[in-house]
Amino acid sequence: MRPDQIVTDELTGIQAADIEAALDPVEADGVYRDSRQCAGLALLSGGGKLLLSPPTPRPKKG
Amino acid sequence: MEQSGTSTRLQAAVQDLASGVVSALRGGDHAHVVPPVGTDGEAGDLAPAAVRVLGADALLPGLLSRTPPDPAELAVFRKAFEAYPPRADAAPTVRWSHWAMARTLRRADPSSAEAPDEPDTAWLDGATWQVLTHQLAVLAPLALPGEDCAVSRLAEGRPVDVARGFVRAVRRRDWRQAAGAGRWLTLLPGVPETVGLDAGLDFVELMGGQDPLVALQVQAARRMRTGARG
Repeated sequence: MRPDQIVTDELTGIQAADIEAALDPVEADGVYRDSRQCAGLALLSGGGKLLLSPPTPRPKKG
Repeated sequence: MEQSGTSTRLQAAVQDLASGVVSALRGGDHAHVVPPVGTDGEAGDLAPAAVRVLGADALLPGLLSRTPPDPAELAVFRKAFEAYPPRADAAPTVRWSHWAMARTLRRADPSSAEAPDEPDTAWLDGATWQVLTHQLAVLAPLALPGEDCAVSRLAEGRPVDVARGFVRAVRRRDWRQAAGAGRWLTLLPGVPETVGLDAGLDFVELMGGQDPLVALQVQAARRMRTGARG
């Protein structure tokens, strides 16, 4: 390690390992939302006023 | 996962630096994207480490606009390059990132030493499209118009895999990976039109653009795409 790097590391606490970890990140965990979660979010964002779908049509009597 | 205070401070410095690059890419003030040597406070102390992490992209606005860098910025860039060489057991992405900085130094200052020999790409031989896309996204600073290297040649041979990886990253909401892959796709020949890259980049920016590292890649992709059309 070069002397000026030692001084820099002492000042910042940043080590080569910190930098190399940042340059070789593991893949982030995926964030998936299933349709039920999406529906829940849609309801929340709509303040409960949002109607996600109209009621299922029923056959007319007679 | 809990992060150390050092790691958090470094990430914050990298994000600040990336914000400056994004601003410059959007046409804003380009002065002092990189805090000059001697800047007081933590921003100055952390600047070389932050530049090392952001890598060649720290000088991206000047590279794309073909304007010479500010000498003070170049000095910090050189300091970062020299202070943090890859260790002997460093990961390939670390070695390639350092090589990309050497290439950028040479472009910015022709009196600099020539870039060393390229690292190898053996770790990507036979990589799945998921792994390939993740690694390419980490190495997005290598995606530059008119700049050839072994990684870019490898990417050129697998445009459909990178396109699949881009879509997967969007579906996983991994905005950094999606933005990096999107930047590569702007340069690769043979990318399927069905990917909808322009709309995809818009979506990535909308959903993840508050992260400066995402915004940087999206802006870089747009600038390169505009240049390619112009």
